[in-house]
Amino acid sequence: MNVAWQLWLQLFRRMPVLAVLANLLRAAALYCAVQWLLGDDEFGVLAASLFGVATWMWHTGQGYNLRGVCAAESFLLPNFRRRLLEYCVIDLVMWVLLPLVVAAMGGVPHLPLLACGLLLIAATGVMMGSNPRSGAFIWPVFVVLGWMPSFVADFFKEALRSPLTPWLLLAIVALLLRFSIAPLLRIEDRQADASPLESTSLSRMQTRGAPGEPRRMGAFGKRINALYEQLAERAMRRALAAYQRSPGFQRRMLLVRRLLLPNDNPEAIGLRIVLVSMLVCFYFIAIMHRQHFNPVVVGAYAIMLSISRYPQLNVGMVRMRPNMADLYLTLAPETRAEYQRTISEALLVLAPISLLTALVYTMLGAWLVHAPDPWHMLFVAAIVSLAASLAALALHLIGPEGTTGRTIVNLVVVFGTMAVYWGGYWLVGTLGYALGGGLLALLALGFGLGVWFAAQREYVSRAPRFDAPIG
Amino acid sequence: MSANPLATTVPSPMPAAHAMPAVLQVRGLEKSFKQRQVLKSLDWSVPSGRVIGLLGRNGAGKTTLLRCLLGLSPIDGGGVELFGEPMLEPGGERMHRIGFVPQTFDLFPWMKVRAYLDFTAAFYARWNRERVERLLANWELDVRQKIGELSQGQRQKLAIVRAIAPDPDLLVLDEPVASLDPQARRAFMNELLTLMRAPGKTVIFSTHITADLERADADIALLRDGRIQFTRPLAELRERFKRVVLARPEGWTQAPMVAGSLKSHVQGDHAIVLVEDPCMDSLHALATHENATMHVETPTLEDLFVELA
Repeated sequence: MNVAWQLWLQLFRRMPVLAVLANLLRAAALYCAVQWLLGDDEFGVLAASLFGVATWMWHTGQGYNLRGVCAAESFLLPNFRRRLLEYCVIDLVMWVLLPLVVAAMGGVPHLPLLACGLLLIAATGVMMGSNPRSGAFIWPVFVVLGWMPSFVADFFKEALRSPLTPWLLLAIVALLLRFSIAPLLRIEDRQADASPLESTSLSRMQTRGAPGEPRRMGAFGKRINALYEQLAERAMRRALAAYQRSPGFQRRMLLVRRLLLPNDNPEAIGLRIVLVSMLVCFYFIAIMHRQHFNPVVVGAYAIMLSISRYPQLNVGMVRMRPNMADLYLTLAPETRAEYQRTISEALLVLAPISLLTALVYTMLGAWLVHAPDPWHMLFVAAIVSLAASLAALALHLIGPEGTTGRTIVNLVVVFGTMAVYWGGYWLVGTLGYALGGGLLALLALGFGLGVWFAAQREYVSRAPRFDAPIG
Repeated sequence: MSANPLATTVPSPMPAAHAMPAVLQVRGLEKSFKQRQVLKSLDWSVPSGRVIGLLGRNGAGKTTLLRCLLGLSPIDGGGVELFGEPMLEPGGERMHRIGFVPQTFDLFPWMKVRAYLDFTAAFYARWNRERVERLLANWELDVRQKIGELSQGQRQKLAIVRAIAPDPDLLVLDEPVASLDPQARRAFMNELLTLMRAPGKTVIFSTHITADLERADADIALLRDGRIQFTRPLAELRERFKRVVLARPEGWTQAPMVAGSLKSHVQGDHAIVLVEDPCMDSLHALATHENATMHVETPTLEDLFVELA
């Protein structure tokens, strides 16, 4: 029991907000359930909905927690797997059995179906928390839902009556748990850690494991990763050869960039754009079923995608600090300010890279939604993405290192950028390319460049830090 | 010049330990990372009640071997038996009897020290709270600090506390003192020796600090070329391996051939030969024949490591 208590506490230690929120929702669901039992029928659906959301949230947290706890060394703990199973049983009692008892007391029909439904929600949550790429397993459902809505409606009506439905749900639960938990319980050799600054930008969230958390990748992920490594190695060799042929400031800067940003060589950028484009096309065509979207929304989203990597830059720079001492000694700068300037200028290459990716994604978006005026979108995207990249780079270079501060900065940058894109699109549409565009460029680029130069001056004035990050 | 060092060295039985049941039995262990074979048909037997110092150069595969023994790294071939049962994966009641200190401790950075120890203690049937509290106090570990906030040395201390708290019968330590300050290292060795006083306790200890192994009077296992080349008590190594130094004014073009020679080199007018089981009479005869003066030294463990590893 002590082990279950300790495992239960883990979630409160790692994700206190989520754990408290899930339990508050559960308490609210309980209140509604009591009202429903007392005869107020309106509360029944509300109780079920609240409890469903609470179950999903709680188990998403549990899945995330499992990712951290299931390190290879944890399996040396006596009966670790069995203890996890016991904890799972207790969790089921709390989140499935007890609500079923309440439902039975209220005379709810289809109890087995309800039980299996709750299990399905819990299993989905665990899978989404434990496996960040779990969306791939859920997408097919939405594909079917979107392509054959009438069939799905009929299917659900029939399923409600069929005695086989609970069994089907149980089978799906088993499948989901197989995909989510089995990899966590497998002991594998540790994958080499990637560079903290490395970004393949395949995800909007850029979620990375906590330090110490085993890096888990599927077969496809490993292949792509190996490809990125090859490209980075080749780019580094090229940069080295060029520097050896004729050493100079620019080639030295290129070497620093290849070291700090291994996946920002031309081939890797190309690969990243192709992969993201494929994902976007699949998502748009198969899942969203080519719904009609406002081109402005699509353009803003494209820019958001292109600047999504900057928070990782902030985290990465902090985690890289101890290793940066080596770079400092290698560069042997005359002054500390010279070193800081070198680093900031090396990172400045991210701005044109973000601009390029924003333009490609905007073109793709314009093609997908059959935008009436793609040049309009591209024109605004070029100005806004460059300004947004400069601002994001500046803010994350000198901005707060704590999670909360970084999140706030990121939200401000993302929403600010989307708002500026929206405003810029309207401005160019209203005043024309010359006047509207000129005004937008003046305001947005003026702001971006101003923030960048101010941040660079601040960064250069700071002493370089090589201490290990805390936490 | 270098004689063929240990290719012919047969794993030698340990007279005192031979009667002890084996805690660990490894047969034909194979392990590769991609194309690189790290462990090659490795055989090894570790008797109960001994401290085993696992020596090997950087990259020899010590960490890989220790992780394979505990089931923390999948093996490609062969088998491992721990406490008489096959170690296909870590599990079963025997896990109560095993303690492990990894080379780097970077687990659970979000947990506080106290929470981590409470979490771990919950799994064990035995947990020596008195020892834990004493070590935490002696090593000045703040239980309210997060693991992620600890220095590498403090993390190492925490890993040691966690590993010895369940009073394990088998303690596997992967370079446990590499990040410790001298005081902590000494305190750790004291704890280790205290732990070893209880009957049936076994320690497998990978380290480059040979003085610690000498202090613990460890049996020395040498890992090289993917195999355990030998496991021998330190006293036996000292007794059997000698360093013969031959000196003559005109110097040496190459070191002379000596029976039992494992390695030799020429340094100025000295020829230095590491010899196993030297025959003193023939050495004296050789010195006379070569018109050299000779003296025989007992090498330190570090000397032996440098010569043999």
